[in-house]
Amino acid sequence: MVRSVLRTALGVGFMAAMMASASAQVLEIGVDNGPTGLDPHVTTAFPSFMVVNGNIYEGLTAIDKDLKTVPGLAESWSISADGKTYTFKLRSGVKFHDGSAMEAEDVVSTIKRVLSKDIASPLASRLSAVDSANAVDATTVEMKLKEPSAALLSSLATIAIVPSSMEANKDALQKTPVGTGPFKFQEWQPNGFILLAKNEAYWDKGMPKLAGLKFNILPESATRQVGLSNGQYALLPNIDAATALQLKGKPNAKLAETMDLAYTLIGMNTSKPPFDNPKVREAVNYAINRQEIVDAALFGAGVPGGPLSPALKSWALNVNQFACYKPDPAKAQALLKEAGVATPVAVSMKVLPRQDIKDIAQVVQEQLNKAGFKVELINQEQGQFIQDWRNSNFDLFASLNAGQPDPDDYFFRTFRTGGSTNVFKYSDTEIDGLLDQARTTQDQAARKAAYDKVQQKLACSGPVAHLTYGTLFSAMNAKLQGYDVMPNRSLLTLRNASY
Amino acid sequence: MNRVLLARLIDLVIVLFGVSVIVFLMIRLIPGDAVAIMLGANTEITPERMAELNRRVGLDRPIVEQYLLWAGNALRGDFGTSLWTGRPVAGEILLHLWPTLELTFLALLVGAVLAVPVGCLMAQTRGGAADVVMRVTAIAGLTIPSFWLGIVLILLLSSWAPGFASLGYVPFSEDPLGNLQRMMLPAIALALPILANLSRLVRSAMLDALGQDYVRTARAKGLSERRVVYKHALRNALIPFLTSVGIMTGYLLGGAIVVEQVFAIPGLGRLILGAIAERNYPLIQATILVVTAGFVFVNFLVDFLYIVVDPRVRA
Repeated sequence: MVRSVLRTALGVGFMAAMMASASAQVLEIGVDNGPTGLDPHVTTAFPSFMVVNGNIYEGLTAIDKDLKTVPGLAESWSISADGKTYTFKLRSGVKFHDGSAMEAEDVVSTIKRVLSKDIASPLASRLSAVDSANAVDATTVEMKLKEPSAALLSSLATIAIVPSSMEANKDALQKTPVGTGPFKFQEWQPNGFILLAKNEAYWDKGMPKLAGLKFNILPESATRQVGLSNGQYALLPNIDAATALQLKGKPNAKLAETMDLAYTLIGMNTSKPPFDNPKVREAVNYAINRQEIVDAALFGAGVPGGPLSPALKSWALNVNQFACYKPDPAKAQALLKEAGVATPVAVSMKVLPRQDIKDIAQVVQEQLNKAGFKVELINQEQGQFIQDWRNSNFDLFASLNAGQPDPDDYFFRTFRTGGSTNVFKYSDTEIDGLLDQARTTQDQAARKAAYDKVQQKLACSGPVAHLTYGTLFSAMNAKLQGYDVMPNRSLLTLRNASY
Repeated sequence: MNRVLLARLIDLVIVLFGVSVIVFLMIRLIPGDAVAIMLGANTEITPERMAELNRRVGLDRPIVEQYLLWAGNALRGDFGTSLWTGRPVAGEILLHLWPTLELTFLALLVGAVLAVPVGCLMAQTRGGAADVVMRVTAIAGLTIPSFWLGIVLILLLSSWAPGFASLGYVPFSEDPLGNLQRMMLPAIALALPILANLSRLVRSAMLDALGQDYVRTARAKGLSERRVVYKHALRNALIPFLTSVGIMTGYLLGGAIVVEQVFAIPGLGRLILGAIAERNYPLIQATILVVTAGFVFVNFLVDFLYIVVDPRVRA
């Protein structure tokens, strides 16, 4: 009796589950962390970026899957001969999720919002070249720059356009975002899920195809994997190589991959010995065997990489062009001798708390020790790591950094003297000159030539030993079509996906 | 009776005050402040903008002032807003409290309720085959971690019954069947160690009670063994059992963190974990206070139950 009741109950449960999955068009996504707020100008943390970027919000421009800058909310633009005036023509018929029309005034107030001290947006520096923005008419925006900025168009893709009513509002967008994107915010249960519904009034007719997106927050890797295998979740975006290997060949699971823009690195503090000496930094590069790191810590899913990701095909130099990328511990030791430092050189390395970075740090420690260093690893908690990073309180650190589609976005703030994330205190007049020159010219060939020189110099004696660019995987249900993995980890292509 | 309970009530208030002060100070001693973490290691930010953010979240004031302000508001039921989402902390806690309460209830229901007959049976068959088998099983139940058991259960179920939604959480009011489906495995994973622990406890307390004079008297009066065990001996064996149930309830209310992680249940445990990682001060303070209050309150209830079960405590 009891058994038959149980069996019936289980049967009913299965049927309910099957019916639910048959009628569902909302894409169930499994992510490891929930967003930490949804204001696109305030919270730049990755879990938030993944939800809002391209799904809820759009910029004037957009970055496509080949990392090219393409039209977004601006249909077209023109640049004045001196490179200091940009005129954007907006798409017509674009509506915000609250029903109001998106017009030039909204773009202007968005720029003001990002630059305002009150909002304290970490994105403000992306608009540092902008002097003023004004609405010429409802669909035309004119931006005046203080100086030409070759990276402006690419940067604008990261500035979400919000309604003008939000200009001074610090809190509302954190909870209830209002954008123009293909999906609109519906519900957020912290630690549970975040649900976006299809934007029926989306300007790109026929898009999106899905009825909505549900980001289920699943901190455990095993949970996400099982959820994908049993069909409860249809997409696990941006998984690491270890997880991808485990999912390979599993029923229901299909893998897609691309080259990551983000890179692993060893940072060196050039404000104090021994890393104030370029020869010591060069020795570090000669000591490191990058292929060994790829094999040991990334399960072979990645490539050794220089200052720019191989995904940036039109910018990145091939690593064969960097002499120091050929591992040579003897040369490293000779360089240390030349530098006049006593060996073994005792230094500490602070490690970002991520499993892949911990693995990499151990491999690097071993390699450096063989070449005349004596490295002590310091495993840190996230908050402590960030604080020490900000305060340049380190000899060496091992970390993972996000890359940018335009070299200026990354190089200028990282390596320019006084750059906002130049925590290495690096200062080199030649590099400064090249970066300034590349920033202010629109001539593509001249920019390329300048960045080639920058890469050559940074690769061997810069403050960062670039290590690897990983393969970025997404695991998905075989039924999911039309979704492409983006090198910058954006989920923008979900608008084209069907399930 | 009132005197005992009144003393416990005063204890409760003192403990809550003490915890609020300690938590307030301790989380500010953890390196890495909320603003730094909010901005991450990969963003561009000037010191002025950082100061502005500090001012916005109130971290620029002296720590005593911060505490008094917070405590004053908390006494009025206002626990502030989450630093990250800007939502009221009280609302977030309520949202996360329910899944944890449900999980606690289910795990105790399975674990504690089964433990009584199992423990009694073990005591009655002491040294026999049934006793040995149950004791060995209980030791296994104690040593297997819940999270491991949880993962194994998920894996087994997903291979036997693919399509069975066993992860995440849906409220009972929205989808009762879906709710029970998802709560079944985590409840079992949490209940097994409880069952193992409590059944051993009932067994030994029972053995102790069965050797007492009043049990011999009861038997001598010709009562059935069942009546002797459940009516006379059990009542006395219940005191250590209740204490343990109280402590376990407190532990479960604190969020069986790892099990909540494994099954992706948005309970209090995950709320606390996330809040600490984000240095979300108002949220950490309030959740720990709520969990402490739960713990102290359950123990208060246990004290009350002692009085009901054991007349000697009333003195």
